[in-house]
Amino acid sequence: MSNKDREVILSIKHVDISFDTGHKKKFVAVKDANFDIYKGETFALVGESGSGKTTLGRAILRINPCSAGEIIFEGKRISGKISKAEDRNVIRNIQMIFQDPAASLNERATIDYCVSEGLYNFHLYENEADRSAKVDKALNDVGLLPEHKSRYPHEFSGGQRQRVGIARAMIMDPKFIVADEPISALDVSIRAQVLNLMNKLKAERNLTYLFIAHDLSVVRFIADRIAVIHHGEIVEIADSETLFKYPIHPYTTALLSTVPMPDPIVERTRTHIVYDPSKLDQSGEEREMRELRPGHFLHCTSKEFAEYEEKIAQMEKEQG
Amino acid sequence: MMEEKIIEKDLFTFASFDKYESEHIAAPKYSYWKSVWHTFIKSKFTVGVAIVMLIMIGFAMIQPIISGYDPLIAPNVNDESMRFIKPCKEHIFGTDNLGNEVFDVVWAGAKNSIIIGFVCTFINMIVGIAVGAVWGFSKKMDKWMIEVYNIVSNVPFLLLAMILSYAMGAGMGTLIFVMCITDWIFVAYFIRTQVMIIRDREYNLASKCLGTSTWTMIKNNILPYLVSVIMTYVARMIPSIIGYEVFLSYMGLGLGVTKASLGRMVSTYTSYMNGYPHLFWIPVSVLALLAISLYIVGQKLADATDPRTHM
Repeated sequence: MSNKDREVILSIKHVDISFDTGHKKKFVAVKDANFDIYKGETFALVGESGSGKTTLGRAILRINPCSAGEIIFEGKRISGKISKAEDRNVIRNIQMIFQDPAASLNERATIDYCVSEGLYNFHLYENEADRSAKVDKALNDVGLLPEHKSRYPHEFSGGQRQRVGIARAMIMDPKFIVADEPISALDVSIRAQVLNLMNKLKAERNLTYLFIAHDLSVVRFIADRIAVIHHGEIVEIADSETLFKYPIHPYTTALLSTVPMPDPIVERTRTHIVYDPSKLDQSGEEREMRELRPGHFLHCTSKEFAEYEEKIAQMEKEQG
Repeated sequence: MMEEKIIEKDLFTFASFDKYESEHIAAPKYSYWKSVWHTFIKSKFTVGVAIVMLIMIGFAMIQPIISGYDPLIAPNVNDESMRFIKPCKEHIFGTDNLGNEVFDVVWAGAKNSIIIGFVCTFINMIVGIAVGAVWGFSKKMDKWMIEVYNIVSNVPFLLLAMILSYAMGAGMGTLIFVMCITDWIFVAYFIRTQVMIIRDREYNLASKCLGTSTWTMIKNNILPYLVSVIMTYVARMIPSIIGYEVFLSYMGLGLGVTKASLGRMVSTYTSYMNGYPHLFWIPVSVLALLAISLYIVGQKLADATDPRTHM
């Protein structure tokens, strides 16, 4: 299916996010981010620590304000000043799964309260029995038991806690989920369990995910499309398959070269590529998003674009 | 050579598998307040001090009703033989310069001190926590509240106490007013700092993403974490206010002559220190015992409310 026929659920348009540092100069965490997320897909945002992935994710949830540009959700602007009713609408429809399940649950509240917090805030239940039934169902959906309701978060394992976090987001019946590195704080043995659960819920409820991660092997497993972000700039956007097959931007190739291989013999021959931004076109021309192949975008100058064109043609020839 | 064993199919059955089995939590159910109670009563010393404290408070509340002591009525004032009797069987704490039972005077004074200590602490805490919680949460409010704090906290307390007690007349109401008018801001400032420490933790961000209002967040996400530090503050505040009441009464600024007061007792009895030291030492000891037991119980309660001690 061509991307043009698909329904856009969330659109990020020329978004800048900056923070006051106390000096005159502001720290710009995200520069000119520009992409669409289609309904029903898993869109991954990958990049190194401090590249602005989480900042962008939080801007969608209206936690970080945008200093320029706008974010459109289902045709309506949700960035900047919006009415109270629209703000509530954003909360109902966009939910977040947090990175650290230990830090993102209130240690002094029971699981019952943690999960039903959203229900209380929007009064999404008819009576106490209905609320209780909804919590039971939400816990059951993530593979937890109703008996857990009276427990406190510290009594759970990391994977269970993360599933409580997922249940808390899902009970709001959202359309869009921002998953901020949902498995990076978990034990390796239960990562797959949580990812499979997320995929199952996505299929059942027709969800759209923005999946923030730094681990490319995970992204390859879960994402439909991937955006690579470096120092607040999105450098490459492509379908998951295309990106792994034809990584064009030097930063993407460098990032891919850091993925460890499970085969020890191959792993020994793996070479690290170090990204050197000084090797890019230094002519001073403004970089912009250019479409190299349908659905494959690169942040580059016209001179670089010509180089990338050559590179991808070469790769296509080699790989047939 | 081993003989080949024939493995019959019917020797095997499928083991059942329950995917929820691994989800069970074996640990006994945890309840915060129950754990607080168990931790508190674990130490015999604490329980002993708590009993002493409760007896003293109970005695101070009940004894004055029975004795009917009133500083304006001194029934034995004209009976020379009733003055300055040393502690004995009939007069447990002896009698003073007016022929009053020191036992009655001490408990009547202790009653007023305890009432003032508890009422002032209660008012200061309620106002301080309410203001401090919102203050810590709101960056806008912080800007001007810090200026209010700078002004109010620099008002000299003794001067204010003197002016107010002359303007409003000495008495219980004035004393409570004096102790509450500036003290709440220190509580508010303390709570503000505590709130700021936990305000930006990730679970608060999660609550914000779920649309939780500020008040609900203060009630459910912030205050439960502060129980222990608030208890510590209360444990220090009650004895310190009792001490202040005694100090102000000693200075003549506290309760008027119509009310019994430990502070004024100490101040009048100081002059008989050489001849009748018991007159001085009895109210001081009662005051010390009361303050220390309140402080220890408060501290132990503060420790018990810290969940790190529950394991």
